[in-house]
Amino acid sequence: MTAASPAPRRLSSRRSALPVSLVVGLVLLAPLLVAAFAGSWIAPYPYDEMNIMSRLQPPGPEFWFGTDEFGRDVFSRTLVGTGSSLLMGVAATALSLMAGVPLGLIAGYKGGRAGEAIMRAMDVLMSFPPILLGILVLAVTPPAQWKAIVAIGIVYVPQVVRLARAITLELMQEEFITAARLRGESAAYILFHEILPNIWPPLAVEASLRVVFAILLGASLSFIGMGAQPPSSDWGLMIAEARPFVEQAPWIALCPGFALAIAVIGINLLGDGLRALLDPRNTGSH
Amino acid sequence: MTTAPHTRSAVPPVAVPAPASRPAAPLLDVRGLTISYGTGRGTLRAVSDVGFSILPGEVMGLVGESGSGKSTVAMAVLDLLGEGGRVESGEILFRGTDLRRLAPAERRALRGDSIAAVFQDPFTSLNPALTVGRQIAEPLIRHKRLTPRQAAVRVEELLGEVGIRDPRRVAAAYPHELSGGMQQRALIATALGCEPGLLILDEPTTALDVTVEARIIDLLAKLCDSHHLSALFVSHNLGIVNRICQSVTVLYGGVVVETGPTGRVLSRPAHPYTKGLIAALPRITAERRARLPSIPGTVAKLSGPPAACVFAPRCPFAEETCRSHPQEMRAEGDGTGVRCWKADALATTSWPDEGGTAPRRGALPARSAPLVEVEHLRKIYGASTSILPWLRRAGTVAVDDVSFTIDRGEVLGVVGESGSGKSTIGRALLALTEPSAGTVLFDGADFPQQVRRGDQTLRRRAQLVFQNSAASLNPRKTVGQAMERPLVLAGRGDAEERRRTVAGLLTRVGLPAAYADRYPHELSGGERQRVNIARALATDPEFVVCDEAVSALDVSVQANILNLLAGLRDEMGLSYLFITHDIAVVAHIADRVLVVYGGTICEEGPVGRVLRPPYHPYTEALLSAVPRLAEDGSEPPRILLEDSALPPGGRGGCAFAGRCPRKLGAVCDEQAPPVRETDQGHRIACHIPLATLAERAPVFPKLAGGDAAAR
Repeated sequence: MTAASPAPRRLSSRRSALPVSLVVGLVLLAPLLVAAFAGSWIAPYPYDEMNIMSRLQPPGPEFWFGTDEFGRDVFSRTLVGTGSSLLMGVAATALSLMAGVPLGLIAGYKGGRAGEAIMRAMDVLMSFPPILLGILVLAVTPPAQWKAIVAIGIVYVPQVVRLARAITLELMQEEFITAARLRGESAAYILFHEILPNIWPPLAVEASLRVVFAILLGASLSFIGMGAQPPSSDWGLMIAEARPFVEQAPWIALCPGFALAIAVIGINLLGDGLRALLDPRNTGSH
Repeated sequence: MTTAPHTRSAVPPVAVPAPASRPAAPLLDVRGLTISYGTGRGTLRAVSDVGFSILPGEVMGLVGESGSGKSTVAMAVLDLLGEGGRVESGEILFRGTDLRRLAPAERRALRGDSIAAVFQDPFTSLNPALTVGRQIAEPLIRHKRLTPRQAAVRVEELLGEVGIRDPRRVAAAYPHELSGGMQQRALIATALGCEPGLLILDEPTTALDVTVEARIIDLLAKLCDSHHLSALFVSHNLGIVNRICQSVTVLYGGVVVETGPTGRVLSRPAHPYTKGLIAALPRITAERRARLPSIPGTVAKLSGPPAACVFAPRCPFAEETCRSHPQEMRAEGDGTGVRCWKADALATTSWPDEGGTAPRRGALPARSAPLVEVEHLRKIYGASTSILPWLRRAGTVAVDDVSFTIDRGEVLGVVGESGSGKSTIGRALLALTEPSAGTVLFDGADFPQQVRRGDQTLRRRAQLVFQNSAASLNPRKTVGQAMERPLVLAGRGDAEERRRTVAGLLTRVGLPAAYADRYPHELSGGERQRVNIARALATDPEFVVCDEAVSALDVSVQANILNLLAGLRDEMGLSYLFITHDIAVVAHIADRVLVVYGGTICEEGPVGRVLRPPYHPYTEALLSAVPRLAEDGSEPPRILLEDSALPPGGRGGCAFAGRCPRKLGAVCDEQAPPVRETDQGHRIACHIPLATLAERAPVFPKLAGGDAAAR
């Protein structure tokens, strides 16, 4: 094969050019992932053990991040809640991408009546306040976490559709799309082999932001009792429950808030790093 | 330009009487300028030890291809180097003070006041949200401390000065309401506002149509003369430099290779690179040749000071010394210098001519049925035939009743400016756009109709090479993946066989087969264009549309690609539809040519006939606007067209009537012009009788002889 010589060069340069943001993102997310899977084993106290004697304790050697109004260890609850919170964000985002990207591609590629119909449907969806939409989905049936995930996923579909459509419209002007039509490619090939690989990088950035918003929206839903149910622990729920005590015991919100911030920054860096890694222009001779 | 710089520079810039013989001090004196850019992978030397000076009242051309560092030098003078750009060493003396020693605030005060600039793209240089008048007034208010009211008066004066007839209306207009030529005039007015000593003109006409370009260049020449302006004129276009500059500095790979008076440098180039650059230029007056002389290879990127002659790897005269020693600038007297130790020995040697001057090939193949037949083609964009009357729209006519044929093995050139419909014709021929009326037959079959029915087989036989070599390749696919796809669709061979075909195609267009594993961004512009051509050839087509296929390339690369296309035509018997705005390129490669304006054909015929009288008035204006070198013969009286803001395309009348300098009267506006044939299929669509048209003197009297008449 003639290709033998340049191929290793490209691979090696790709490895050497591993984006810094990707590495930092992974380093930040690693402890969260450990907590997500092993939280209940490494937590110093059971997440739901109440102790009236030590309620609203400030951070100290016994309770590193203090205790809440029922005397539960905030750190343990944060650890145990990691899995549920991350799942909420990631699953809801994945759902909105799975529904939104194909719709956006079609709306951008087809245009005309089909595109118009999709976009107007999205406008209708967007005109509902997100919380209201969540409540609508959840109110009719008893709350459960997977329903919250579905609700949040649906809420974010229009944003994904709009982004995917905007990029598709832009790419449709590119001459390599004309070149594909010129050799008689089918619409499916053009959508999934020519356009999709170019949509993916901006979507990766978008998705990393969506995860964060989804966690926060999940928190809002939990707060109004539509998401995670007490006494189960969830970052959003914890922050919500800490609100009445914010003046006497601000530490209750501190630990989950801090965890949320790490997740936000980590996922953002990961998304940005992925975008850079996936771009062939970042490898090779430049 | 008729005034020599020395006569003008003898007039001292200040009122104090000075001895008339003393040469004035240079206005701008650049010495030893070295600029590098920090990139992710180390620093890149963009400009090495560049020096030149501009006398008061002198216009100096800074010439070079992409990557030569010419814009970097201009930006360094303006202190507008982009991110990562750093002046390593050198002096930029403006009126005797080194600009580099000034504080940022002091430099800012100079910029737009004493040193003003006009850039390439008027469309992005103006803020779309502000009126033109407000943008011209901005520097007047800032630097000259005029009140807005005073500034408004001055704005109208300035607009009048740059040849705008209705200054009040233009001042109140927003940029999108003006044509490109008007926008560029407004930007020139902005630059003139503070009566600068020095103008930096960075490719100021490159984005404009040829006829508009001619007017802007005329205006700039006149203004430099009347305002006693000095200018640094950055350009890749030697013809324009010849027209407006008194002296010229040639850059290659960030190094000055030659400098001197324009007449001397362009007619007797001393440096091999300058010789190659001029030889590679397609010329209307040159003998028709099979191949253009070209400069092989690409510009090398430097990371430090050059260790050898920068041009040695591409120089046909290079010797061992050239490759081991950096070259020194050698003064040649009368202000010229050349950076080549062999310059004297090569004084009478010209650039090697690959193709010879033999006619490009034998006679055209015997006349059989044409390959492509276009009849009464019309294309209207944005029309709507709704049953609701208020939704009905007439739309914009892009192509209006165009008919022509292309024979097998024939190259048909289509020349026109932006908005002439030339690209739409190409797209209609490839069934990329549905004609609104008329037929497009490819080898006797109705191409658009077949595609409508879902039959894509004709696609294999008709292909397209794009202008933008980067945009036409998917950045996420390797060259091999891009080229293999047409083969997969055509069901040709298994994976192994396709790989071999791809390797063969790459070799055929002069690229190493290993390029199949590269991504488009890893190639240079010329290499990408070769990939585009190779991809178009993958399914052995008979017909290729080249839509401005060489317009975005540097002169030396353009010659390479034109030679490649000519070679492929001779080997494979390809037919081309060659769409371009550059009439010199068409004169080089085409057999026949269509001159289009406003969606209609003004003139058509064999190239040699179209370049000679009788001319359609538009062809004549187009030809007279072509910037020329000294050996093309003296400048003809120019035919300057109004850069009218009206879209062309008269309803019912002649499309060109609105801008025609020879308009007869109402008949031109109301009746479609009759098509009259002279001979050899040379047709002109004009109300003016052929005999009257034939009375005009030829625009290129030095047109190379006999062969055109014979064809």
